[in-house]
Formats: sequence, C-alpha cells, structure tokens
Amino acid sequence: MRVVDLAHGRSGDKGDICNVGLVAWDDDGYRTLCRELTEERVAAHFGSLVRGSVTRYELPGIRALNFVLTGALDGGGTLSLRSDHLGKVMYAWLLRMELAGGA
Amino acid sequence: MTAPAKTVRLGAGMAFWGDRVQPAIDMVERGDIDYLCCDHLAELTMSILAKQRARGGDRGYTRDILDLLRGALPGIVAKGIKVVTNSGGANPRAAAAAVADLAKELGLSGLRIAVVTGDDIEADIDDLMERGVSFENLDTGRPLAEVRERLTHAAVYTGCEGIVEALGQGAQIVICGRVTDIALYLGPLIHEFGWARDDWDRLGMATVVAHAIECGGQATGGLYDGDWAGVAGLEDLGYPIAEVAEDGTAVLTKTPGTGGRVDVGTVSEQLVYEILDPARYLTADVTADFTQVRLEEIGPDRVRITGGTGGPAPATLKVNMGYRAGFVGEAQFTYTWPRAVEKARRGLEFLRRRLAAADFRYSEDLVEYPGHSSMWGDRVPPPDDPDLPEVVVRYAARCPDADEARKVFTESVPLYNNGPAGIAGIGTRPPLKELYAIWPALIPREHVVQSVEIVEV
Repeated sequence: MRVVDLAHGRSGDKGDICNVGLVAWDDDGYRTLCRELTEERVAAHFGSLVRGSVTRYELPGIRALNFVLTGALDGGGTLSLRSDHLGKVMYAWLLRMELAGGA
Repeated sequence: MTAPAKTVRLGAGMAFWGDRVQPAIDMVERGDIDYLCCDHLAELTMSILAKQRARGGDRGYTRDILDLLRGALPGIVAKGIKVVTNSGGANPRAAAAAVADLAKELGLSGLRIAVVTGDDIEADIDDLMERGVSFENLDTGRPLAEVRERLTHAAVYTGCEGIVEALGQGAQIVICGRVTDIALYLGPLIHEFGWARDDWDRLGMATVVAHAIECGGQATGGLYDGDWAGVAGLEDLGYPIAEVAEDGTAVLTKTPGTGGRVDVGTVSEQLVYEILDPARYLTADVTADFTQVRLEEIGPDRVRITGGTGGPAPATLKVNMGYRAGFVGEAQFTYTWPRAVEKARRGLEFLRRRLAAADFRYSEDLVEYPGHSSMWGDRVPPPDDPDLPEVVVRYAARCPDADEARKVFTESVPLYNNGPAGIAGIGTRPPLKELYAIWPALIPREHVVQSVEIVEV
C-alpha cells in the first residue's frame, strides 16, 4: 500500500521551505497516516531533496497532515534551478511512499 | 420575524499576476458579490515590478488589473461592488491613475479610487537601520550589509488597516501595494461588521476563510489532486465566493453557471496549501489557528467552514527584500535511440569539459532528465534502459553574471556537429534569466504606517 491509496495532497513554497499537505479520504486512513508517516520516515523518503528539517503538524478536523520541509527548494522559488522550483509536485513524491503496515 | 442575519459576499477574483480575468468578470455579472478581492502579488512579482518601475515612472504595477476592469468596471459601478486589490505592486499611485483613465475612457464617473501606501520602505532602509532595525536575514541570521548594494526593493507585508480606512472614506476601488493576501479580505469584513481589532477569534476565523479562497481556482477544482478526473468544466473554472457571517464563519461557494466544484475535498486541499504551523498562521493582522477547522457540505457547491480561531498579531511585520543574485545559464538537448542514455551522458560530459575549458564560473549546477527525473532529482535514478527511444538532458547553473551564464548555451552548440550522433532540440539561444533572491527580515510594526489617498473620477 502506498500513501496515494489513503490520501490526496497539495504542496507549495514559502521561500526555501516546501510544505506538503495530505488529506485523508476517511478516518481510518487518517489514523494510518498519523501512525506511519513519522517525521523520520518522511525525511528518509525525501532524502537529498530536503536539506533541512521535516516537521509534522496535524489538522484533525479535516483529517489532514501538514509536513514542513526546510531547505527543500534549492534556495527557494526565485533562486532554484529545479524545474519544480515552487515545489508544486513535491506532494506527489510523498504520495508514492510505500507504507509498511496495513490499514 | 427577525431580519435575516447579515452576510458579506467576498469573491476571489485573481490569485496571481497573469491569472485569467474572466472569472472575476463572471463573478461581477452573476456572483451577487459585495466585494471583489484580487491578489496579484508573489515574492518574485515585486522584484519584477520594481525593475519595471526603475525604467519609467508610470510602471511598476500589475497591468492585468486594467484587463480585468475593462471587462468588469461597468458592472462594478452599476451594482455598487467594491474592489480591493494589491495590483498596485511597486507603484500603486500609477495603478490608480491608470484605473482612473480607464474609467473615463469607459464613460464612467462618480468613482472613488483609494491608494494605500506605506509598505514600500526601500528609501527608508538606511534610516531605519540607524534607528536600530537590523533587517538580519530571518532564515540565516546574516547581516543585510552583505546584499545591501544589490537590493531591488523592500516591501513590508502590511495588514488591513489602510483598506479599512479607505473603505471608511467611501472608496469603491482600493488599490494597495504589498498588503497580505489575507488583508484584502479582512479589510472589507472589519469595515462591514465593525469587528474590534483585537477580536482575535473572529479575525482568525475570517483568516481561515480568506486563506481558503485567496488562491482563486485552487479552491474550486483547479490543481485538485483528489478526484481531479471527476471535476467538470476546468476550462471555465469559476472562482470561489465566501458568504461570511458576523461571527466570521462562512459558506464557501462559487459563481453560478461556471465549471469546477466546491466540496470538502477541494477546500481541504486548499486549506493545507502554503501553510507552516497550522496553530500559528502568522499574518500582519492576527495569528490564526487552523487546527480545529471543520468543513461540512450543505448543498451543491456549498461548504460551511467553521472552527477557526486566533490570537494576537505578531509584534513585528515581515519585510521581503529582493536582491540581484546573478543569472541562470541553461542548455537542453535530446539524444535518441540507439544507446540514447550513453549518448546523453557523453553529451553532458562534452558540455562540462567545454565549459571548464572556457573558465566557466558558477556557484551551483544541476542536471535533470526532463520526462524522467526532473521533478524529484536523484530520488529517481538516472535513466538506464539501453532501448529508450529518447533521453532529454537539461543542464542549468547559477552564475555570477550574464557573460558566464551565456557560456552554457554557447558551449552546448558544438554538440550539434562535434558530439555523438542522434542529437536534436538545442534550439535557439534562450533569453537569459536574471535571478532575484529574497531577503526576508522583520520590522517592528510601529515603524510602518499606511496612508490613504483618494482619487476621484
């Protein structure tokens, strides 16, 4: 199972910070994501794409998690050499992450 | 029978410079809105506008406000809709003058246009530093002196105070510079409901509402990752409207008869767009708390949003300064089967050796394989299938000046007849891209005073 089976997402930039929001389709999925998507695992999944920290925040009312990735856009939207300089598709890399446990 | 509770209908007309203008025109015609709120600015936008302003006194604002108003102004005047926009960018007075000219050209009169200034502190930086504002980099702690000579602009993210004042003076069109996106919405609500400036929970709730709609079509099915294939009418996407109640809660909807969708999914995704700590969403007017927000579908394209709260506004305001940071040199080329991957690697090696021979100076460079791994870098291994029909290589480097940046393309051209066979697509010399870096800093809010001028047509 992958994250994409449980949630949809959106990402964007604030300077050299990229945030990735995930919205679970249902309560079970939200619980699974809360359990599985630790900051450590998400940081490992993004690897070299994120030079700084990964911080997780919860929005239980809308079954969403927000990951704040610092040093994640090659210097920020105005400086970055990357084609995705605004981090618009960083969420999709998190959707690809394999989850070890079942729902 | 009691009178129905008052609601204020705020429409999100624009989300960035260059956005479509038709959704705002549709909203004026069919949206039954009280206010059309238009956000035109992004980080990079201010640097571009500052550069334009430097070339001539009547430039430096986002000219798409004129495209929008050319279509919408007659309806705005006829229906008494008010417009609040930060299209003034680096030159709000010039924007107001151009709007006034447009109104005359359209034969309209009786229009009060307000100009809100106070965000542009570029001319005051040295004075402010003498008065103790350090402007050290918010992210790195480094001193402003490092880039002071290269600054292009310095704009404070200002709050809604000037907008409230302008509306109080009877302005129908309020043109601001760098106010926050949120202020474009909070200003009308404070004007209409008379909320106290420390009514943090209402201001926080309204901030959540504003955040939900401020990116226009991103709340109505545009860029929707959830059920994207099921969203009808993306080509005629309607932009969002919030029916805000006196307590700050709202029903989110969109212009009738337009494409797209407003549901819990589309709104949820937008709520998590470009936020950091959802318990402390900082704006110039309030620190909003998104963590207990709830959404409820109460009808087709109607979502009730509740649960936002807030706390005191921060004691400092954010300043974004732009500074010139060199140029990007770029080359892109395609190799074809057979052995396309090997050829691409050889072509890249060729380019790097040619650049080294040309004493190429750069600070960082990047190789991407468009169509394969240009989005997620080395998380995706380089292509290695020997039977691939084609491989695209993109090489980009940050360079200290334009001459260095030009070398990247120049030294890629010999690949056409000196390198491996099977190459296409180098193309013509691309326009050089100048880089503007952002220097974020803080300024105590007492140093920033907004003022309002009225232009009458």
